[in-house]
Parts: sequence; structure tokens; C-alpha cells
Amino acid sequence: MRPAPGFPSSLSQSGRGFTCAGQPDAMYYKFSSFTQNLIGGGAAAAYNPQGLKPLVSTKLPAPIFEMPTKVDSESPAAVSYLGRNKVPELQKLFQADGVLVHLKQGVPDQLLYRTTMALTIGGSIYCLIALYMASQPKNQK
Amino acid sequence: MSHQTHSFHMVHPSPWPLAGAMAAMLLTTGLTFWFHYDSSLILLLGLITTLLVMLQWWRDIIRESTYLGHHTPAVQKGLRYGMILFITSEVFFFLGFFWAFYHSSLSPTPELGGQWPPVGITTLDPFEVPLLNTAVLLASGVTVTWAHHSLMEANRTQAIQALTLTVLLGLYFTALQAMEYYEAPFTIADSTYGSTFFVATGFHGLHVIIGSTFLMVCLYRQTKYHFTSNHHFGFEAAAWYWHFVDVVWLFLYISIYWWGS
Repeated sequence: MRPAPGFPSSLSQSGRGFTCAGQPDAMYYKFSSFTQNLIGGGAAAAYNPQGLKPLVSTKLPAPIFEMPTKVDSESPAAVSYLGRNKVPELQKLFQADGVLVHLKQGVPDQLLYRTTMALTIGGSIYCLIALYMASQPKNQK
Repeated sequence: MSHQTHSFHMVHPSPWPLAGAMAAMLLTTGLTFWFHYDSSLILLLGLITTLLVMLQWWRDIIRESTYLGHHTPAVQKGLRYGMILFITSEVFFFLGFFWAFYHSSLSPTPELGGQWPPVGITTLDPFEVPLLNTAVLLASGVTVTWAHHSLMEANRTQAIQALTLTVLLGLYFTALQAMEYYEAPFTIADSTYGSTFFVATGFHGLHVIIGSTFLMVCLYRQTKYHFTSNHHFGFEAAAWYWHFVDVVWLFLYISIYWWGS
């Protein structure tokens, strides 16, 4: 049984506890990333939830590829850490244009594909011949 | 342009399953020819083709997900089920080797001297390198969790640092185990002690290498901005696998290294 919402948890920052009548004060909640659930929290945690990016729109947040420089005024200098983000360009490149996904990048894909198929099919044929020869009882060839 | 009215992924026709099956045939036949006829050509072909198929198949999955956006929540749920089922099958795989170990060690035969460890076997001290290995893997479990939280909080530098540390710890474990193998006072041919020890720890070591490779790929993808703060299943799958490897080691350590010494 989970404690009643007003029950102060050990992680609470408010420390407000109960009123004299035993009724809890208005309670705040915060999201515990450990239990993946809401647990009791203080006002500070409720109004400044961990992970909230300030000043973003209320619709579904866009996937965050890197620290947002536009909205977070305290963004660290690590935004272009180890190269800049080329995923959007690649997303434009890999469009639904009828080309199968394993050949989408053109020539390098073709080369790899053809090499792989040559080795597997050629190898399989060689393998079957070798097995046939190995199964001949007294074949001295 | 036609649109589908469901959220599932209709995969493009792909040559990799067939090529993979042929590569598996080359691997198995290659092993047979290597054992019986001392010829490694087919085996080599099998290893190369397996590597090529794995590279291209997983490259295509990254294209379908990160670049083409086909991994909807429904698709991701299926992938989660798949990874869990795969790890479960690996649990059963290791269960077999633990069964073999306990079968031999709980009632040692007269040929072993009626005792475990068998007569003549000098076991490794569980409180030396094996204990260090335990600490290394436990620490790597902490760092991979740190990486996950950094990822979820869109903290790029920390995610990269934590993932790098995890990979380094995994490589450190592999190096330590390799040294232990080299220095061990017994071999795989030394009765069931040697067989159970090296087969169980050997397959575990192979899984550490696989897990480290998986994490290295995740590290590479993280530097290339593939993961977002709320969609990074590839990383989660690697982390699950890594935790599984860690737990198997704990069982190995308790059973074979400690109790069995």
C-alpha cells in the first residue's frame, strides 16, 4: 500500500509534516527516476523538476540531440563536443525514395553488398563441394 | 506517396538473413574441416562473412530507426520483448554449464580422489585477481547506469565519459582474465575441474567481449548524436546485456571460484 499522498516521504524537501489535526498539508509531487513513479516532494522540487527545459513550448518536446543552446542560458561549452550533429542531414539523405535501405547510400553500399554476397554464395558452393568430397569413402582425389 | 495506417514497421526486402544463414553454414562446416582436416579456409570465409553480415544488418537497422524514423513506440516495444527473450535464452545457456559444474562438484567421483577440488588441482585464490574482476564488473555496472541517467538528462559530455569508462572497465576485465588464463596452474584437460572451469568462464569471457563491443558501438553512436533523451533503446539493450554479463560473473565467482576452491 502506498502511503497517502499527504504522507511526507524521506525524500521530501518540504519537511512540513502534518498539521495538529493529523491532516497533511497540501502536498507536492516529484518524479522519481529510480522508481519511475511519483513520490512526495517539496515545493522546490515540484516547481523546478529535474530535467525540465525552461521556456519550451507546451507541445510534445522535440527529441534532444544536444544541449539546447537557444533556451538554456547556462549551456556549457560542450555543445559541439566531439563534432557537430549531422543526424538531420542524414535524415534528409535517407528518404523514402524507393531505394532499398541496404543500398541507400549508393556505391559504397553496392560494393559491400556485392562482396558479401560473392563471399557467401561462392563460399557456400565451395563448402558443399568440399562436404561432398569429404563424404566419399575411398576417393583418393 | 502511399502511407501506412498502422504504426508497425514493414521492413524492406533484405539479403542479410539469407547471407547470415550461409555464413553460419560456413562457420560450422569450417570448424569441422579445421578439426578433422587441419584446413582453415572455410572457417576464415565463415568468420569474414559473419562479420560482414552483422555490420550491414545492424547498419541498416540504424538507418531504419535513426535516419528513417521507423521505430515507433509499438516497434520499440517489440524490440524490448525481443531483447528480453534473447537474454533469457542466454540465461538458460549458462544454466547448463552451472548444472555441469554442480553435477561434478557435489558428488566428486573416485577418479577425482572423492573430493572437490580434485586431487592435484591447485585452485586460483578467489581473493586475488578474481576479486578484482568482481570489483571491476560491479563498477562498470555503476558507470553504465550513470551513462543512462546522463543520457536521459541530455547531458552529452557525462554520457560520453560514463560510457567510455564502462568500455574501459570491460576491456580491463578481459585483459585480467586473459592474464589469469595464461598463468593458471591447470588446463582445460585437467579433469572435469578444468573442463567446467574453462568452458564456463570462457563463454562468460566471450560474452564480456560481445557486451563491450555492443557498448563501444553505443559510444560511437552517442558521439554521432544518434541517441535522444527519450529514445535510446540501442543503449538500453546494451546496458541490459551488460548487467546480465555482470550477474553471470557473480554466480561464477561464488560457485566456481569461491565455493569450488
